[in-house]
Amino acid sequence: MAKRRDVLKAGAMAVASTPAIFGGAAIPRAAQAQLCRPAGIRSPLTEPDSPPVRPYIEPVYIPPAMSPVDPATLAPPPDPNRHQRFDEFRPAKHYVQHMTEGLWNYHQDLSALNPLGFGSLAWMFNGATPGETLVARYGEPVFVRRYNDLPATENALMPIGLPYTTLHLHNAHTASESDGYPEDFAGPGEFWDHHYAMMYARNDPREALGSLWYHDHMLDFTATNVYAGLSAMATFYDDLDSGDENDPNPHALHLPGTYGKYDLSFILHDVRFDQAGNPAYNVFDTDGHLGDLITVNRKVMPYLEVEPRKYRFRIYDGGPSRLYELILSDNSEMFVISTDGNLLEEPVSATSLVMGPANRHDVIIDFSRYRPGQTIEMLNIMEQINGQGPTGRRLEGPDRMKVMQFRIKELEGPDNSTIPDFLRELPRINLNEVVAEREWVFDHDMGLWTVNHEFMDPTKISASVKQGTAEIWTFRNAGSSWAHPVHVHFEEFQVLEWNGRPPTGVLRSRKDVAVLGPNDTCKAFYRFDDFLGRFPIHCHNNVHEDNAMMLRWDIVPNGGDDDHGGGWHR
Amino acid sequence: MKKTTRRTFLAGAAAAVPLAATAAVAPGAVDDNPAFKNCPRAKNGKNSSRFPQVLVQDQFKKKAWFYEELLADQLVLISFTSVKGEKYYPVLDNLVKVREMIQARVGSHVKMYTITTDPHHDTPEALAKLAEENGADWQFLTGAPEDVREILASFNARGSLYALSWIGNEQTGRWLNKPSRLQPLFIAEAVGRLSTGKQHKPFLVDMHSV
Repeated sequence: MAKRRDVLKAGAMAVASTPAIFGGAAIPRAAQAQLCRPAGIRSPLTEPDSPPVRPYIEPVYIPPAMSPVDPATLAPPPDPNRHQRFDEFRPAKHYVQHMTEGLWNYHQDLSALNPLGFGSLAWMFNGATPGETLVARYGEPVFVRRYNDLPATENALMPIGLPYTTLHLHNAHTASESDGYPEDFAGPGEFWDHHYAMMYARNDPREALGSLWYHDHMLDFTATNVYAGLSAMATFYDDLDSGDENDPNPHALHLPGTYGKYDLSFILHDVRFDQAGNPAYNVFDTDGHLGDLITVNRKVMPYLEVEPRKYRFRIYDGGPSRLYELILSDNSEMFVISTDGNLLEEPVSATSLVMGPANRHDVIIDFSRYRPGQTIEMLNIMEQINGQGPTGRRLEGPDRMKVMQFRIKELEGPDNSTIPDFLRELPRINLNEVVAEREWVFDHDMGLWTVNHEFMDPTKISASVKQGTAEIWTFRNAGSSWAHPVHVHFEEFQVLEWNGRPPTGVLRSRKDVAVLGPNDTCKAFYRFDDFLGRFPIHCHNNVHEDNAMMLRWDIVPNGGDDDHGGGWHR
Repeated sequence: MKKTTRRTFLAGAAAAVPLAATAAVAPGAVDDNPAFKNCPRAKNGKNSSRFPQVLVQDQFKKKAWFYEELLADQLVLISFTSVKGEKYYPVLDNLVKVREMIQARVGSHVKMYTITTDPHHDTPEALAKLAEENGADWQFLTGAPEDVREILASFNARGSLYALSWIGNEQTGRWLNKPSRLQPLFIAEAVGRLSTGKQHKPFLVDMHSV
């Protein structure tokens, strides 16, 4: 076990190599010229600015945990035949969500502009965006029925998106039929049932997931539907990461908690608003969408009152296309304890967080170094001028984008949380288990976003992997000016090599999004177990994804005794 | 939506040029930035500000305002190619199959257009020949090269080959694109999915789980 001193040493190195989170070298300044656009072609720079809004006026929105319902009230009742291994993982908690169109107060300065009423148009879960957080525990299977109560397209006020939804719980170990596959969509007036087994992959507690999010995954409309509001968080706990800093279990980590108080989730979406205060979006810009205002939990540049103590913040890049480098305004230290929702073996000290769409980082920030009355900002210093990817330059001074503000208040009780030296062990990689190697090349050709020179065709199965086996997958970005956050559903991966080098810092982890910079290559180790069915691999720049940068791959029975999910077929 | 007549449209468009220019761009972001140029934008439609105010002509030399007469209030399937491009990356054979699948609706409910990516060379005569050779009976559009260039830019089409087709419903303002060589069924499906009322079909083949 690493001593704190060793951790800090490793941390100091990690600071110097922070761009490694992004995958390696930033785009060189000389490459800037390639990002210049011919005259007349539109880019986010030519889009109208959002109306002026005052920073740090709105308190941040803390979504409550979902409230369970009595399963007897579900009509029709859950159908076990629709779900793999339902009887093995009988739901312990049942939830119902309704997706509706309405008004959401992103910011009072925007809400006041809207002739429709106070608020900005939004697609919401149970009347809010982000929707309630799914707070779940390993060993307690969950059933969620989601009703699509959005208006029909011709009646929708939201000018973008399509009111068909399929909800992906990113990146839970979920059977295909509950995973939000792009074609498992429900239209207005319909519902879809999701069964979350709350089992560790391979029943191995080292495979625990912690910070997840659920978002729409509708074919061709993921970027716009999520932008419209259909995203929210999920938090999974277990005996080790129990969410209780006062847990009597001596083996628990005692990270700052509980949920909603000292354990908080923040999802970042960059949004551009029109002159009526509604979300604005250029669907014709296939490079990607950039908003000019950062929202945190769908509040524009909010503030949060914090006690002078440790907090666990789960920070999500909700996309659609922006990458971030987040800092505290005094450049002070944060401890990264988790990436893509998965606890690291050891905390990594960092002064900035680099993340791409769908990346998550859990950090512990110790506000005890401040005095009540002080304020501190979180800022984005990564320059990005279009949806293709970052320029490689850092924003300075007033150009830094405001994300949120922390206001230090009085301490309300003892801080019993810890920053442990050791968090969660990584599963061992056994290369002898590898039965196949595959390469996935992400490229751009004739306006098409391609994977292995192919584009999304729902009938084409680009890989059939055998259940109970391991494979090495290599993700390669063939573009010289693009960033592609590559996401594979269902299983986490461990990086074997990034651009030929072994992983260090937060890359030594289990991940589900590999943010490939220009010409980056990531070689990853995968195992495929527990469920069968179809899953996508796609670019999580949702605009690229909606432009067919997605392929289908399947998990198929290997014919052995380890097969699960038998009897389920498509 | 109220359909704009040509006269009101042109009157509005003439007066609206300076307005459109300021409305379509960020104040300060473009006017003083020589890297970006403004062009008059179409008016009176869900996404009109996204399109240039230009005239095009089809393979029969019939002229039309691109947005007002061909897109506004319509359900459209727009593809891109050129006489030369067809030799390197043919798309028309696939689109003819799409055309057959939505046969009953083309013309009345659905408008199909192919825009040339090579307006310098593709005359109406050349496009008429290209359409006929491929059995394509929809409108092929060309125009002044600088005008066609603006149209291509509005679809983010760069280069002489552009392999996306756009399906849009300007009654609802919803658009999506599909690779032009995707299985024709899924392009036809997108047309049904973006249709409204009785013509609306969420899918042509049910690909849902179980």
